[in-house]
Amino acid sequence: MTYNQLSIRARFRPEIMERILRVIRHRGFRVCVMNMVQPAESEHVDLDLTVAGLRPVDGLSAQLSKVLDVVRIDVRPAAARRVAT
Amino acid sequence: MNGAQWVVRALRAQGVDTVFGYPGGAIMPVYDALYDGGVDHVLCRHEQGAAMAAIGYARATGKVGVCIATSGPGAANLVTGLADALTDSVPVVAITGQVGSALIGTDAFQEIDVLGLSLSCTKHSFLADSLKSLPRILAEAFAIAREGRPGPVLIDIPKDVQQACGALSPYLLPAVDAPDFPAQDIALARTMLKNARKPVLYAGGGVGMARGVPALRAFLDETGMPSVVTLKGLGSVDPEDPAYLGMLGMHGAKAANLAVQECDLLLAVGARFDDRATGRLDRFAANAAVIHVDIDPAELGKLRRANVSLRGDLSRLLPALQQPLRIDGWRRQAMRMKEEHAWRYDAAGPAIDGPFFLKTLSERKPAGAVVTTDVGQHQMWAAQHMHFSRPEDFITSSGLGTMGFGLPAAVGAQMARPEATVICVSGDGSFMMNVQELGTVKRHRLPLKIVLMDNQRLGMVRQWQSLFFQGRHSETILDDNPDFLTLAKAFGIPGRRIDRASQIGEGLAAMLAAQGPYLLQVAIDPEANVWPLVPPGAGNETMLESLS
Repeated sequence: MTYNQLSIRARFRPEIMERILRVIRHRGFRVCVMNMVQPAESEHVDLDLTVAGLRPVDGLSAQLSKVLDVVRIDVRPAAARRVAT
Repeated sequence: MNGAQWVVRALRAQGVDTVFGYPGGAIMPVYDALYDGGVDHVLCRHEQGAAMAAIGYARATGKVGVCIATSGPGAANLVTGLADALTDSVPVVAITGQVGSALIGTDAFQEIDVLGLSLSCTKHSFLADSLKSLPRILAEAFAIAREGRPGPVLIDIPKDVQQACGALSPYLLPAVDAPDFPAQDIALARTMLKNARKPVLYAGGGVGMARGVPALRAFLDETGMPSVVTLKGLGSVDPEDPAYLGMLGMHGAKAANLAVQECDLLLAVGARFDDRATGRLDRFAANAAVIHVDIDPAELGKLRRANVSLRGDLSRLLPALQQPLRIDGWRRQAMRMKEEHAWRYDAAGPAIDGPFFLKTLSERKPAGAVVTTDVGQHQMWAAQHMHFSRPEDFITSSGLGTMGFGLPAAVGAQMARPEATVICVSGDGSFMMNVQELGTVKRHRLPLKIVLMDNQRLGMVRQWQSLFFQGRHSETILDDNPDFLTLAKAFGIPGRRIDRASQIGEGLAAMLAAQGPYLLQVAIDPEANVWPLVPPGAGNETMLESLS
């Protein structure tokens, strides 16, 4: 199992969280930590997630990039220990 | 002008002349606008049929197919068709009515969360929350359906938005930049091609969707590379090309599989390394370097690491890779394999052999004919034994494997290409799944030719039960099928049944000579199997060719 931190900026749509979480689940990852913020007056939302999975995270990142409202994704390895605490 | 009238106007502006659908309460304003709106509406007899007819229309023409349904059950019935379009990358726009905005979320009559339903079966989807959003949403929906890797887009429109009146202006979308031309990677790929001794080109459905057939054929002409195709890639390579080896994969031609397993360079073009094509992935072309060309970046490296990945329009990329190759020995070897493992049509006895029947149909179908299929043994036999000169002439559910696809897809193809002979090759299991579309054939007097390969079985599942489940034929025996000729007759469709090989010629002649629709019921051996078959978990070099 590898843990990765995803920072995603997306256009705000009421269903954007569902779209992103559905892709994460379907492509074989689970969400360990999640935070979503919509800055005031902004048309964007920023999500920070830590996800765990057995598959290469590049594949997940590529699939999330296809969600049309996703503007940007950054992927960084996350330490498993830190997630557990 | 109200929202519904704007929708119909926007369809016309997008060049849509025909839509497929089924009316209901929440979509009534759109149907009112369609009444004299200048767009032909084809009433299908089930929303699933409408979605699949839209797919058939899109695949037969390259244009966007449009289907329309009401809220709740109407929209839910579209889902299988949308999933099929997503898996096979077909540009479709689905328009659904929704209950009034104030009723959304109250469990109103015929209310379901259609946007939620759409998330896993569309490329994108919209819930129109206002009249003024409609121009943008319609424009974006058609652009998204067409651009890049095509796919289905759903627009859910509450009834009050359809009924709202106001002045609207067309929405202009900004131009989309093409992907950068990967000059460095092209140079690397050219060197790999030049140095390869045993290269094979593996073409998928992306070639046809990208209108890349001329570029692909020019590339093959100059390089002389042996080629194989996926199920959805059939028609992209000239079937007369002597180094074309046919379909690869689970039911692929033996020469195609053996050549891929032996190659030292695999050039994948618009293909996605689907499990039915690759067999056991770690044994697929195990000694080959890979160049992967695709428009969808998520496909590059998804299942098989590529030495060079080229993202973009293959009509630009393939000419840049094109060069004469010194592979005469390998080309000759591939052609020898093709000859050595050519299909044989020497089944003994008076019964009809499915492969021989379909080969004969292939030889006798008129030029420019469109063939649709359902899913199962007849589909694989059609892929193996029929020849197609263009991808848009063979319309089959490839990725999703959707039984019930053939008849409604043929309806869509016939509406799109009224001058063409459209032949639906079906099986008795699949045919019953959307048999209600015979009503659409009757209503629109479509001259469809239906070939019903009848083995009174769910043949492919029966075959797997025989091979891998100790012959325990659980729920696959259909000896209680209806009388298909009487059923067709009830819809005004004539037909006949043949059950002996000696009747094949006269049966095909009668069907192809019919001015209107015709059903040819072809009785075949219930125990017939599709060979070869790569068993689950095996590499493609392991092909079963008989029960023993």
